[in-house]
Amino acid sequence: MGLETLQDIENCMNSGWTDGLPVIPPYGSVVNEMLDAMGWRADDVSGEFPEHNVIVRAEQAAATAVMAGCAMEYGSLLRSLTEALLDPKLNICGVEVTTGGASLMVIVSGPVVSQLGFEHRENALGANCRANATVGRFAQMMRLFCGRAGGVLQPHGTIGHPGRISFCVAEHPETEWGAYHTQMGIPEDASAVSVMSTEGPNSCNNHYGDTAAQILDTIGDCMCHYGQTAWYYRSGGFVVVIAPDHMALVSKEFSRDEARAYIYEHARRQTDDLERMGRIAKEPIAFAEVEPGAMRSPLRSADQLTFIECGAAGGRFSAVIPRWVGSTHIMTKQINEKASPSSRETAEGNPK
Amino acid sequence: MNELPKVNAQEGAVSVPARQITSCDDVSCELLVDPIPRPTPEPLEVILKPTERRVRFVDHSKPNSIKILRMSQQLLRDRGIEVEEEILNKGDASQRMPGELLGLLSGEKGLVLCGVSD
Repeated sequence: MGLETLQDIENCMNSGWTDGLPVIPPYGSVVNEMLDAMGWRADDVSGEFPEHNVIVRAEQAAATAVMAGCAMEYGSLLRSLTEALLDPKLNICGVEVTTGGASLMVIVSGPVVSQLGFEHRENALGANCRANATVGRFAQMMRLFCGRAGGVLQPHGTIGHPGRISFCVAEHPETEWGAYHTQMGIPEDASAVSVMSTEGPNSCNNHYGDTAAQILDTIGDCMCHYGQTAWYYRSGGFVVVIAPDHMALVSKEFSRDEARAYIYEHARRQTDDLERMGRIAKEPIAFAEVEPGAMRSPLRSADQLTFIECGAAGGRFSAVIPRWVGSTHIMTKQINEKASPSSRETAEGNPK
Repeated sequence: MNELPKVNAQEGAVSVPARQITSCDDVSCELLVDPIPRPTPEPLEVILKPTERRVRFVDHSKPNSIKILRMSQQLLRDRGIEVEEEILNKGDASQRMPGELLGLLSGEKGLVLCGVSD
């Protein structure tokens, strides 16, 4: 790397073309190579925000991928991810500006996990691995670059969380309950990428329980602390991360649907306690469906709960990741090698 | 680099990223590819200083927000400031203001106060 390149990195840093970390300068020749890898031409429209008069061109997405440090081999995945990120249902501008400080969580599932070398075992939620780190960074940089509509909108996150730099989780290629994307109706043997807006992960430790119910109750309890954002609007839902040691206990007695139903049924708090604690408005709006005296779930319905299997064996931990209440959709896209947009399977929303 | 970005002087953060960065070596220069989509046409200019001493509130339906806005109305009136009785409603805090409401507010000569956070 010559001195000119270092100067270019500094110029990017000083000019707002950064997420706060040094970037690979988006030289035209490298961006063109990334465009080829993504199967796009420079002027193709990758997405649009008509309400902000903003059109996102493929060249801009490819430049962002280069800047994040993504390898060219990630091209097909990045294309599917770009389409998911720019789908208006994800509300990327809302994610960027909310006081909730949400980030975009990316889930990679299926054979692509092994093919591209994603880490899905040790430290799966914060892996020091190029694929995880740069694909996750790409998503956050797209949020930053597109979500502010060219600097018109500004962020207002109260505290945010470290996932706003990078948050990409890869699922085990072999799962007990089926690939993550099967919850969105995409075939088991496909590769897919999902994106959703989330808060930071809450770790669930249970080292001494020896039944599935104990593990699920621990996870459910973690979803039910007073500080959960979900209590009032209940628009987001949760992603539950189950690591192998917990999964070995849970899968002996529960299918994925049974575990979802169990948590929905059991993870609840008394509505009046929530009101006393200030977690429910004194004069709730009808949308919040507040029933005084009832046991309240942080989920509006069971299908707001999805499960991902990842993490290393040898520790009895799982995690609960609350989704941001202002973005109700999980966008999931099948990854096809060099496919045209019309041939891509798309799914959205909550589990089927 | 051909253009100086706008920098937030208090925090040192770049609020509006540069439109163009040039990379030069000893013999030639090239433009880096701008990764940031920008509004076309340019966004509306907002007049930050009201021309009339009047306040209009917009509620975005956060918990208790309407209550707080009503109290604020009264406090301002007690201090002799004209306040519009009708509080406009944005409907959903997570979504952009509808064009019709934005159009209405763009003609407002007083101060518009939008939203109370939870």
